[in-house]
Amino acid sequence: MNRSMNASRRAFLKRASALSVAGVATPWALNLAAMAEASAATATDYKAIVCVFLYGGNDYANTLVPYDAANYNAYFNLRPKLAYGRDALAPTALLPVTAPVDSSGIARQYALAPELAPLLPFFNAGKMGVVLNVGTLIQPTTKQQYLSNAVPLPPKLFSHNDQQSVWQSSAPEGATSGWGGRMGDLFESGNGNATFTCVNVSGNAVYLSGRSAVQYQVTPNGSVAFAGLQKPLFGSTAASAALQALVTQQRTHLMEQEYTRVAKRAIDANTVLSGALAGGPAINTPFPAGNSLADQLKMVARMISVGSTLGARRQVFFVSLGGFDNHDGLSTVHPGLLATVANAMSSFYAATQELGVADKVTAFTASDFGRTLTVNTDGSDHGWGSMHFVLGGAVQGQRFYGTAPIVANNGPDDVGQGRLLPTTSVDQYAATLGRWLGISDSNLLTLLPNLANYNASARTLGFL
Amino acid sequence: MISSAAISDNDAARFLAQASMGASRALIAEVKSLGYAGWLDAQFAMPSSGTRWDWLVAKGFNALTYKNSEQGFDAAVWRKLIAAPDTLRQRVTLALSEILVVSIDSLTGSGWKAFSAAAYLDLLEASAFGNYRTLLGQVSTSVAMGQYLTFRGNQKANAVTGSHPDENYARELMQLFTIGLVQLNQDGTPKLVNGKQVYTYTQDDVSGLARVMTGWDFDLAGGDKNTPDFVRRPMTQYPSRHETGTASLLGRTLSAGMSGADELSAALDVIFAQPNVAPFISRQLIQHLVTSNPSPDYVSRIAAVFNNDGNNVKGNLRAVIRALLLDPEARQSSAASASFGKLREPMLRFLAWARAYNAASASDAWAIGNTSDPATRLGQSPLRSPSVFNFFRPGYVPPNSALATAGLVAPEFQLSNESSTVGYVNYMQRAVYSGIGDVKADYSTLAPLADNGATLLAEINTVLAAGQLDAETQALVLGALNAMPKGTDNARRNRIAAALTLVMAAPNFVVLK
Repeated sequence: MNRSMNASRRAFLKRASALSVAGVATPWALNLAAMAEASAATATDYKAIVCVFLYGGNDYANTLVPYDAANYNAYFNLRPKLAYGRDALAPTALLPVTAPVDSSGIARQYALAPELAPLLPFFNAGKMGVVLNVGTLIQPTTKQQYLSNAVPLPPKLFSHNDQQSVWQSSAPEGATSGWGGRMGDLFESGNGNATFTCVNVSGNAVYLSGRSAVQYQVTPNGSVAFAGLQKPLFGSTAASAALQALVTQQRTHLMEQEYTRVAKRAIDANTVLSGALAGGPAINTPFPAGNSLADQLKMVARMISVGSTLGARRQVFFVSLGGFDNHDGLSTVHPGLLATVANAMSSFYAATQELGVADKVTAFTASDFGRTLTVNTDGSDHGWGSMHFVLGGAVQGQRFYGTAPIVANNGPDDVGQGRLLPTTSVDQYAATLGRWLGISDSNLLTLLPNLANYNASARTLGFL
Repeated sequence: MISSAAISDNDAARFLAQASMGASRALIAEVKSLGYAGWLDAQFAMPSSGTRWDWLVAKGFNALTYKNSEQGFDAAVWRKLIAAPDTLRQRVTLALSEILVVSIDSLTGSGWKAFSAAAYLDLLEASAFGNYRTLLGQVSTSVAMGQYLTFRGNQKANAVTGSHPDENYARELMQLFTIGLVQLNQDGTPKLVNGKQVYTYTQDDVSGLARVMTGWDFDLAGGDKNTPDFVRRPMTQYPSRHETGTASLLGRTLSAGMSGADELSAALDVIFAQPNVAPFISRQLIQHLVTSNPSPDYVSRIAAVFNNDGNNVKGNLRAVIRALLLDPEARQSSAASASFGKLREPMLRFLAWARAYNAASASDAWAIGNTSDPATRLGQSPLRSPSVFNFFRPGYVPPNSALATAGLVAPEFQLSNESSTVGYVNYMQRAVYSGIGDVKADYSTLAPLADNGATLLAEINTVLAAGQLDAETQALVLGALNAMPKGTDNARRNRIAAALTLVMAAPNFVVLK
């Protein structure tokens, strides 16, 4: 596959030359460009991470529900109209290897929301872990520091678009690279075809853009081919040739150039991917119908199944589900969303088992932010820290990671109305995934700019 | 002032690509005859073209059987976008619907989604040339916005249940509809204090405004929900649910005891008085109509008109629209620039074709439907944004691009990826040949030219592409046309379809400069 080798080499050369062309060369950008790739790019095995992004800000308290009597009562009293009944939680109460401990040293219990029941067997089998109160941070931050503005805080807290961006990229809206893409930068030259390093089965997300790595977008049904290139355009091969030439021209106008760059990439990638997928193995694991997240994850599984055909050794995938901004109707809408997530992720894990790659693939959840614990009329409002799940054969599961927050309104672990002040940062979460992929500690410090604000021993969380 | 005599066909078509739903031979002639300003005045004076609501009623969609469907909505909207003669008003309405965003999918809780969404677009349209402050008041009491940003039914804090007022609308009203997150200079650039941006509001302001936004709910006016009328009425106040204490907002205190309506009005006055409103909204309107990266001077000139229309009125949208379309930066040639202009959003590409060739629905069904699927349709559909953050953000920067390196934004590229780029071309390939549903174009102006490739292409270049196809693109299209059969009706049909598909796929068309 000459073309794909060339694509990888081009990616390497582009990054190498970026040092000289960067318009605004901040020290961080220079470090990114200079990241040694040998350590990561020489991997010979296969690994992938899959970001499951829950757009809108998932309500943490009705996702991972406080279950020990004291915390359950505190939860119930702060949201009586929206609280799950404790009885209803009994079947999904989590029995971890070690009980999570809150910031006052008390061991706590949690239950999954009943609709997350499909994930319970994976937790119990040690394939799923729970990360407690994780969110955007610049550095470890106490409530006192937050209140007195004593330390830098993530920009534009509580704003959807900005916190999505900070989660994905460490910077607010307008960021041009995310940590998934920056990891991809290290791997694309080791992949047979650089195009399939960062793959988005959802819409565009800054998460998957690196300094040189470009996200490649596919639909849940695969890549889309130009009809006019599949057969003569209105009967004319000359018209088809003109179409191909028009949409792949080099242009001087920057927007025209961006348009043709995407179109050219679509044509080139479709040629490779459609052939590979057609020759891929059947996936017999059932995926739920009418579940857009399952549709996306099935395509991820299909792409993983042809990873060797595509020459892929390290891949970063992105899928998403919207609708989590439940200011309203939380008790009617949110359970259905959780069921969608649980059914999709459980099918995906089963598919990776079927393909024999369960321990090579780690899926993890992410979201704009958590929400308030107190409620408005029938929903919750924008928050900060949240609860997230990591799922895969390599996960040290049946465990909690991080610190259980005190369940309160304006208690020691929230900044009011139960908006959690994160005790674990997205950078630590990302570093744990990155180290598992084989990224060196020094490269992790470069691609996650705030990671250095944590003690070396605390930079990864141990779930992988 | 540019004299009307100086306007070429291409210049008129370019102006119309900015100021209308799309150019046509007839509109090009109008612009040449009236001049830019004269044409705008004629459009401002043109009566509104009938409401979406009335069309839905005329088609019987107000029958109870449709209460829990959204049938009729897409048709009602496409019909006006394609056929309404008040084309400037339609264009501004569409732009406003992408700033003051509502999406039909989330208009839940009352049935009659099609009517709620239609009433909202009708409301925007009625004030498209009015005053932005007035429009904010109308939007803030509209059922659609009450549903979409969930303050319909919002209640005051309850000490027993610990509930607080819903903050959704309070936050987005400030972040997206009026002032944005950071303080701006009049030219739209962020103000810097010690090198840092300055936030416009805090969480406390959101909480304060959320208290104001309590007590609004449907006005059933003694009727019930079995007819859609209540979703068009402004919401009404339920005093028992309204927070009556003082509320603090942006450094001001709204006094206790005001009625909900008075307090909303006072709060909107406080917000509207912020200096950010003019640059924040003016810049977005420029981006929607003319160019993604207006110069600071251009933004400043339009923000000045927003702040004062010449008669000491702030927020006069007619004056703002007029100024931004007649501004020298909008009207001067962009031929030498490598960055002026904008990616046409997919809906506007489709509509440019529909308007250029007088597409019409013989059955009046306008069955274009929801065009949101990026793989097979446009990846965008009117009033179907995935969130209140619109289909694309004003600050979107395509990663890894030369645009990013140059420090430029390109909002519409947020919709652009491998799937949607191809899906759009495939959709247009079908549309130009067969139409969509029974919405079909009238190619009677092209058919007589179709056997001559150069003549055919020149006509399409002017009307559809504002003369912006460069020599290389023209050579590619012409080469293909010259290789195609001619002389029969079938051949001419294929030649027209091929020419239109190729032009609409060309980067010269997709980017309006």
